[in-house]
Amino acid sequence: MLTKRQNLMEVIKGGNPDRFVNQYEFMDLIMEAPMDLPLAPAPGTRVKNKWGITFDWPADQIGSFPMHDDEHKALKDITNWKESVTAPSVFYTDEEWAAAEAHAKAVDRNDKFVTAFCAPGIFEMTHHLMSMEDALMALYEEPEAMKELIDYVVEYELAYAKEVIKHIHPDALFHHDDWGSQRSSFISPEMFDEFILPAYKKVYGYWKANGVELIIHHSDSYAANLVPAMIEMGIDIWQGVMTTNNVPELIKQYGGKISFMGDIDSGRVDFPGWTRELIYADAKKACEECGKLYFIPNLSQGLNISSFPGVYEATSEVIDELSKEMF
Amino acid sequence: MSKIEEVKAKVEAGKSKLVPGLVQEALDEGSAPGEILQAMVDSMSVVGDKFSSGEIFVPEMLIAAKAMSKGVEVLKPLMTGDGSASLGTCIIGTVAGDLHDIGKNLVSMMIESAGFDMVDLGVDVPAATFVQAVNDNQNVKLVACSGLLTTTMPALKEAVQTIKAAHPDVNVIVGGAPVTPEYAAEVGADGYAPDAGSAAVKAKELATA
Repeated sequence: MLTKRQNLMEVIKGGNPDRFVNQYEFMDLIMEAPMDLPLAPAPGTRVKNKWGITFDWPADQIGSFPMHDDEHKALKDITNWKESVTAPSVFYTDEEWAAAEAHAKAVDRNDKFVTAFCAPGIFEMTHHLMSMEDALMALYEEPEAMKELIDYVVEYELAYAKEVIKHIHPDALFHHDDWGSQRSSFISPEMFDEFILPAYKKVYGYWKANGVELIIHHSDSYAANLVPAMIEMGIDIWQGVMTTNNVPELIKQYGGKISFMGDIDSGRVDFPGWTRELIYADAKKACEECGKLYFIPNLSQGLNISSFPGVYEATSEVIDELSKEMF
Repeated sequence: MSKIEEVKAKVEAGKSKLVPGLVQEALDEGSAPGEILQAMVDSMSVVGDKFSSGEIFVPEMLIAAKAMSKGVEVLKPLMTGDGSASLGTCIIGTVAGDLHDIGKNLVSMMIESAGFDMVDLGVDVPAATFVQAVNDNQNVKLVACSGLLTTTMPALKEAVQTIKAAHPDVNVIVGGAPVTPEYAAEVGADGYAPDAGSAAVKAKELATA
C-alpha cells in the first residue's frame, strides 16, 4: 500500500494510485506557525489585525467578515496607500516558532507533506483593506497604485515565506486566495494576467526555489477561465474547485499540468440537516465523473474541517468506501 | 456621433470622469434630461447583458454604474419631481442571519441603473423589516431579497412569505448562490435572477407588466 504522500504523487503525475487521495490526508498543516491573525478567531469576536483590518464574527454566523464601513475601512483612498498601509513584521521569537518546529519535526515526511499555510491571499488582501467594490474599481481607475500595493503585499509574503522555510522546511504550501464567485471569476483573465499572475509567479516561484515541492491553492469558486494562469504561476493542485467549473472537462483539458481537489460543494452537503446519503451521492458522482487521476475528492471548504460537526469525517468515510468500490 | 450616443458609449465603457461633461453637452445641445437618462439606462442594460453572458466581469460593471451615477448627478437638479422617469421604488436587503453584501450591492446598483429608486436595508434583515420598509416608502413596486448561505434559505423563505402575506401586490424577487428558479417558485417569489444583470431585467419586467 502506498503512503499518503506516494499515493498523492501517483495521482498528480498520472501514475498508478491504489486508492483515492482522501481530502486533506496528504497535508500535515503546521497551523502552529506564528502569523498575523488574519481573521476573527471564533463566533462572537471582533479583532483588528496588524494590517489595520477589522474582522467581525457575529455569534450566529459561520465565518468572519472584514468591516468596511467608514469607521473601519483600513484603506479609504488607494492613491494614499503608502500612508495608510503598513505590513506587520514577519519576525517572531524562537519561542513563538517552537510549537511549529516541533510539529514539523514530528511528521513522517515519507507519509505526509509538511505543509505551510498562508492566508489571506494577495487579491483578498486588497479587498480586505479597501472593500471589494473599491478594490475592483481601482484596478481600472488607479492601476499603478494597485500594482504598487500588490507589490508591497508580495514583498511581505516573500519575507514571511523566508521565515517559514527557515523554521519548518515545508514540503508543500497551502495558500488561500478566492478568485471568483460560484459562477464567474471576479476579474477577467486579461486583468488577472496583468495584476495577479505576476505577483504569484514571484511568490510561488520563491517557495518552489526553496524546497517546496507542491503548491496547493485554495479558491472555492468558479475559476476555470484562470486555469492557464494557475499552471503558469506554478500551482500543482487547485483546491476548492466547485462543480460549476465542470471538473471532468478541466481534467481532460489540463490533467498532467495541474490537478483538481474538490468537486463536492460544501454548500450542498455541509448544512445543519446534512446526511451521509447526500454526501455519498455527491462524492460518488464526483469520483465517477472525474476518475482516478489528477483528481482528489474533497469538500470545497478551505481547511480540513466542516462548518457543521461530522460532515468532514463523514465525507472521509464515504471516500474510503468509494475507494473500495472503485479501485 | 451625437452627444447622446457618446454618453451611451462612455457609460458602457465606464468613463466616469468624461460622462458628466458629455451629459452637460447633450443638455446644451437641447436634449431632454429624460432622453439622456434613458440613454444611460439603455447602456446599463447592455452592460447587464454582457455581464450575464460572461463577456464582462464585476469591475467593468462597477465602473459603468459609477459613470452612470456621475451622469445622473448632472441630471438630478433638472428632474426633481419628475416621477415619470422612475420605474418605482425597490426595497433590497440580505435576509436575516446572512451578512453577505457584495452580490446584493451589485444587484442594487444594476436595478438602480435600470430606473428604480433604491432603498437598501443592508444585511441581516428580518422579514418584518422588509414589510415595514414597504409600508414606510412610496410607490414600492419590488422587494429584492438576497441569501448566500444554505443555512439562511429558511430565512429567505420566511422573508418572501411574510412580504407577500402583507403586500400581495408587491413583487418579490430572490437570488443568491444556493437559490434556484425552482426554489424561488417553491417559496412563492415572483421572480429569480442568477446574477446582477438578469436581476435588473427581471425587475423591469415585473414592474412594467
